[in-house]
Amino acid sequence: MSSINNIDVIDQVVLSLSKPLLKDVIDQHQVAYELEQKDVFNVLSALKLKGWKQLSYLSAVDWPNEVKFEVVYILMNWEQPSYVQIRTKIDRNQPVMPSVLAIFPGAKYYEREAHEFFGIHFPGNPEYEKPLILERWDDIPPLRKDFDPSAYSAKKFPSRTYPDSFSVKDENNKILEKKAEKRKRAQNLRTGGESS
Amino acid sequence: MKEMKLFLGPQHPGMHGNASVHLFVDGDIIKRSYLLPGMLHRGFEKQMERKLWVNNIALIPRVCVPEPDINEMSFACAAEKLLKLEIPERAHWIRMIILELARISAHLMAYGGLGGPTGNYTLMYHAHVDRNLILDIFEKITGARVYHQYIVIGGVRMDLPQGIDKDIRDFLDGLESRIGEYRDLGIDSASIIKRIKDTIMLPESVVWELGVTGIGMRSATDKPYDLRKVMPYARYDQVEFDVPTSNYSDARARLDIKIKEVVQSIRIIRQCLDKMPEGEVRVKPGRGQSMRWTVPKGYVYAPVESSRGEFGYYMVSNGGTSPWRVGVRGASYPQGLLGVEKYLPGTRIDDAALWIDTMGICSPEIDR
Amino acid sequence: MISTKYTVKQSLTKEEIDRKWWEVGDYFRRNSLWLLMYCTGCCAIELPPSMTSAYDMERLGMGPMATPRQADILLVSGYLSLKTLRRLVYTYEQMSEPKYVVALGSCPINGGIYHDSHAVINQLDQYIPVDTYVAGCMPNPESVLNGFVDLMEGIKNKTANGWKKYHEHNEWYKKNQKDVLGEVAIEDEFHQ
Repeated sequence: MSSINNIDVIDQVVLSLSKPLLKDVIDQHQVAYELEQKDVFNVLSALKLKGWKQLSYLSAVDWPNEVKFEVVYILMNWEQPSYVQIRTKIDRNQPVMPSVLAIFPGAKYYEREAHEFFGIHFPGNPEYEKPLILERWDDIPPLRKDFDPSAYSAKKFPSRTYPDSFSVKDENNKILEKKAEKRKRAQNLRTGGESS
Repeated sequence: MKEMKLFLGPQHPGMHGNASVHLFVDGDIIKRSYLLPGMLHRGFEKQMERKLWVNNIALIPRVCVPEPDINEMSFACAAEKLLKLEIPERAHWIRMIILELARISAHLMAYGGLGGPTGNYTLMYHAHVDRNLILDIFEKITGARVYHQYIVIGGVRMDLPQGIDKDIRDFLDGLESRIGEYRDLGIDSASIIKRIKDTIMLPESVVWELGVTGIGMRSATDKPYDLRKVMPYARYDQVEFDVPTSNYSDARARLDIKIKEVVQSIRIIRQCLDKMPEGEVRVKPGRGQSMRWTVPKGYVYAPVESSRGEFGYYMVSNGGTSPWRVGVRGASYPQGLLGVEKYLPGTRIDDAALWIDTMGICSPEIDR
Repeated sequence: MISTKYTVKQSLTKEEIDRKWWEVGDYFRRNSLWLLMYCTGCCAIELPPSMTSAYDMERLGMGPMATPRQADILLVSGYLSLKTLRRLVYTYEQMSEPKYVVALGSCPINGGIYHDSHAVINQLDQYIPVDTYVAGCMPNPESVLNGFVDLMEGIKNKTANGWKKYHEHNEWYKKNQKDVLGEVAIEDEFHQ
């Protein structure tokens, strides 16, 4: 089956259930749609019934200028090989997104990680608030754009200090004096003792 | 009987990588279990946003430690899709050689890792000697043994050295003559066969429920679902190779598929060395100074078939000099986290370490 | 004329006897060190080539050991995240003395390539005493073996006494550990 038909099949399913705000065909095997938040659940269930059974990735992107988070779902079909990206923007100050655990059981840990790193809430997933990767974290969720990791690292982990003007062979720092002497001697040889 | 808490902790001779599996056991049977990742967390996704497009190449191989070339390939493919860049023909073939050599070395390490949980250390010694020969070949091509930084945006960093043709062919001939020994020591050996035959089966419904890809999927569904055949990237449609499958998925069948894949990879590398054209190997992705190269706006997902499954980078670019967001889809994410939770209860304690080995769970790509 | 008076032979004091036995012990100890198999970070991928017959480690008398109570060397291979540091402190205190710590890679020295990351510590010396460093990213198996030979020289010259430092400056190490980790006890859903 040629993959031009794959993109048409996906198009039919998505357009029959919602109105996408953006459509982007990246190459012959990948297509991306941006939908509204209320349409996502229906479109994902319809795509799963049509054969896009594997959830490859679920994550979020931070857009602080527009004050929005963008949640991304990537699905794959092995029989009609193609990837579908479904994106949706949600509010950044109170991020709530209904969970897709009922459709894809594999979303359990992806949503737990998205909560830990961005702060998004997923009602419908019973264990999404437990920390998975960080332990005893005491700051804002780290993948937001207003978190500065080098300031955190400088504050919490002291780094090694090296002494200034450290020289291996020359403990008393005589190198500069030797260089000055050498320059003077060379000048003497060139000009016979008079400065240029 | 009451439940007892045990953990197959991070410090264990049969454990791959640094993750601990927490078990609640009753006698010898596991009742509940889950994996605790996070001990190898370095904050990669945040670090990649703060470095330029050219600087990221130094940071990227460290995401997946046993097989670092798939990271560079996914990053380069994703950026080239956004840039709509065509790289020279010879670069595609060189990339294929590097990726297949990395696949052989990762399979050898996983097959030799069978020695830890079962106590058969001879197998591990054999596998690591061959793997060391591959690392020596990498040192001749790229300059470093483990972290190569060779596949960049726009092709490959430099051309192959003189005489590498003969070295690779000698190594492949030697490895092919030793495959019989690997079978005798590992899956055909009378002392191990009781532990791996008819244990840790993976039924087909579990595969679709968890989202497992790679060898687990091919051994349970008996179909050649391999990204190199289904959505070929870098000239895989111009070489001939088979994709081994099986319809009875126990631990022995999965290890058998690993050995067959090593034989197929040897076949691919020989064809690449015969068919490779001459030409240049690198094209610059922008004009001017490399610190100012930009990539146009877009959202793209670039998957690659690794030795454990589908491995991909999700890249979002804002048109600037560094990526806006890079998300890493680790191949062992579903089989490590979900598989340990849903699938291990009901098996015995000694099967827990074997599950981690035969499904190929590599902990650095779960935590990043 | 030689005196025939009987002179009492000077007997050795207790400290001198202890010191001589300790030297004998050090000779046997440095020629047969056993290291604990704990792969904490990325540099651990160069350990199997140095243990197996590619660059044989057993000719120096070293081999891998499964449990902390029976091992001599704690090999910190690579970077350390906070979670690993908690478990590492547990493991270090479980080992029986005398014990040595070898740090591989440039990450325990000053943070390495992850020096501005929010989850990786920058200097291992503050939390656990270290005897030998092996620099590189990542170090060759030949450099790793070189580091072990340096450790053996250190045991011979009595400069490798990190475990004594841990006892003498215990409050300083404990205060640093508490500052960074919050509390050294592990708390997650398992240990409730």
